[in-house]
Amino acid sequence: MSVRRVGILLGKEFSRGPRDFIFIFAIVAPLFISLVMTLVFGELFAEEPGLGILDRASSRVSDLAMQSPSVDGRRFDSVDSLKDAVESGTVDMGVVLPAGIDEMLRRGERTEVTAYVWGESLARNRTILTTVVDDIMREVAGHEAPVEIVTATLGDTESIPWNDRVLPLVVLMAVIFGGSMVPATSLVDERQKRTLTALVVTPTTLEDVFLAKGLLGVIISVVMGVLILAINQAFGTQPLMLLTVLAMGAVLAAEFGILLGTRMKDITTLFATVKAIGIFLYAPAIVYLFPQVPRWVGRIFPTYYIVQPVVEISQQGGRWPDIALELSILAGLITLLLVFLILNARRLKQQEA
Amino acid sequence: MNWRIVRVLVAKDLTLFFRNRYFALITGLAVFAYAGIYFAMPASVDEKLAIGLYAPQLPPVLEELQQEEGLTIEQAESEEALKDAVIEGRLEAGIILSAEAIQKLLGGQKARIELYFPSDAPDEFKEAIITLVRELAYLQSGQVLTVEVSEQVLGRDMLGNQIPPRDRMLPLFAVFIIMAETLGLASLISEEVEGRTVTALMVTPVNVRGFFAAKGVSGVGLAFLQAALLMAVTGGLNQQPVILLLALLLGACLATGVGFLMAALGKDLMSVMAWGIPVMLILSVPAFGVLLPGTVSDWIKVIPSYYLSDTVHLSANFGLGWDDVWQNLLILLGFNAVIISLGIAALRRKLQ
Repeated sequence: MSVRRVGILLGKEFSRGPRDFIFIFAIVAPLFISLVMTLVFGELFAEEPGLGILDRASSRVSDLAMQSPSVDGRRFDSVDSLKDAVESGTVDMGVVLPAGIDEMLRRGERTEVTAYVWGESLARNRTILTTVVDDIMREVAGHEAPVEIVTATLGDTESIPWNDRVLPLVVLMAVIFGGSMVPATSLVDERQKRTLTALVVTPTTLEDVFLAKGLLGVIISVVMGVLILAINQAFGTQPLMLLTVLAMGAVLAAEFGILLGTRMKDITTLFATVKAIGIFLYAPAIVYLFPQVPRWVGRIFPTYYIVQPVVEISQQGGRWPDIALELSILAGLITLLLVFLILNARRLKQQEA
Repeated sequence: MNWRIVRVLVAKDLTLFFRNRYFALITGLAVFAYAGIYFAMPASVDEKLAIGLYAPQLPPVLEELQQEEGLTIEQAESEEALKDAVIEGRLEAGIILSAEAIQKLLGGQKARIELYFPSDAPDEFKEAIITLVRELAYLQSGQVLTVEVSEQVLGRDMLGNQIPPRDRMLPLFAVFIIMAETLGLASLISEEVEGRTVTALMVTPVNVRGFFAAKGVSGVGLAFLQAALLMAVTGGLNQQPVILLLALLLGACLATGVGFLMAALGKDLMSVMAWGIPVMLILSVPAFGVLLPGTVSDWIKVIPSYYLSDTVHLSANFGLGWDDVWQNLLILLGFNAVIISLGIAALRRKLQ
């Protein structure tokens, strides 16, 4: 193996990369997916029901509704836009406040309020919204709460915000996609166009080619992993440790990509395989989405040993002893895959010969 | 056009597809993976707040509250039983109303009420329950709010009959499966173009029309059968099966048209596959609108697959019939005519 030749091949991969769709896709997709996932899951599992308010007189009722932590308040400027928002489910309930409602409430005058309710709104959301609106109106009316409420929490389970739950999936996608798909497609392409055969009849060895393509995957994977963590403000306090984990994860992904690239006969088969096994690659991150699923389920999948240390470091301030076991297993998996790759390279050499 | 030749070409494409056992297995596996995800998700929606209450005597207002549609109030036998139920997650919150508190509430004095939450309850939820309990106290103390709220439900009232998330996901799955075949068809054509087998075909009695017809039938057949199989396995065809099958068929035609376009625009198999992914994602966006109502605006209607996912959603989840979805189907048909024509024209130009 020649370091100089690997360097030249890697340089070629980088100069050709910006013209290759998968290369661009590996960079753009994680950023796009990060944005979409945060929005989608943030909205899908948002706890607060939506409350729309039409208030032409800037009443205190609407100000308090916007500040309420129990509802997601939005202001509207016409009955039509409010009704549209309710009908489409943008908000669960839309309330039209009459002019001078604050004064009417303070004076205890009879007040009529129209509320539009989205037909698909859950019963619990309707109850919460009605209660919150009533409570706000009581506050404006000057009613004095006849209770002192003392709250206490029971148990030791932790509330994990959805953004934190989604992060492992986004990080895993960035590391796995860039790390595996770039070398895999590049290798399949070279095999299909027979440029690989042309290359290995020169002094360049198959190992040089594998290493150059693997390094390309590792670099893209690490850069994207770092970028996603930085965008999500989840870099934690141990950047060096995090970089080590991301680099190891990227190596595993690149090895997997090269293995796919050597085993798949064409691009169609490669994409079909990725389509089918994708769920297994991202399964550990899906386990993080649902804390009800026992954590051992995630351990079955190799990519768990990439994502768990990342979560441990970035979200729980983990240190080396906390991630030692996972990193050891990850190192074992990297070695195992390397053995497969060496065996595979021998087989491919015979084929190319 | 010679239909016998078209039939032979379709048979050749399908034989090649299924001869590659690996490819056939992977395609089948994907359909069953979607079905597996569907069945793994909850089949019902728990739309009520489950709240526990321990009180030696039930205040009248709480008896009224039990009629509230969004609440399930479970009476606990002891404080300990109530706390255990909250810790185990059977109850979302627990209220302890001591005899003294009840007396004070009935006497118009300020009472102290204890509220218990599981430690993973989000703050906004805790605040909502506190507001609810405060409202009960207001009602019990006789402080009347002089506001009359007239409620008007917009759209079909689904109270007590909510659509489970897995059924909301069904249009998304169907659209994914159909649009994935866009890639399959585009790669099939691209392979023929790259391998120059299409040029070889053109010197036989097969003409360009026959070639398109054969590829169209293969593409539509594969996409339609997979989506219909998924819908059938998941029980999605229980309501309005004819409309749903027609919508899926039109969706499969759309995928075929897009497949023609991609095969014409992509310079080789690799670029066809690579550009196919963003196209697939864009066509899947309207289905996210079904999954997350209110997150997409009207611009989504410019994406043709909107009319497919909307029809599947309305007919499979609400049982809506021809009167409600004929416009969707007609627009989808119109989009198909335009896209297939464009695809054929572009591909014909490439082949020539």
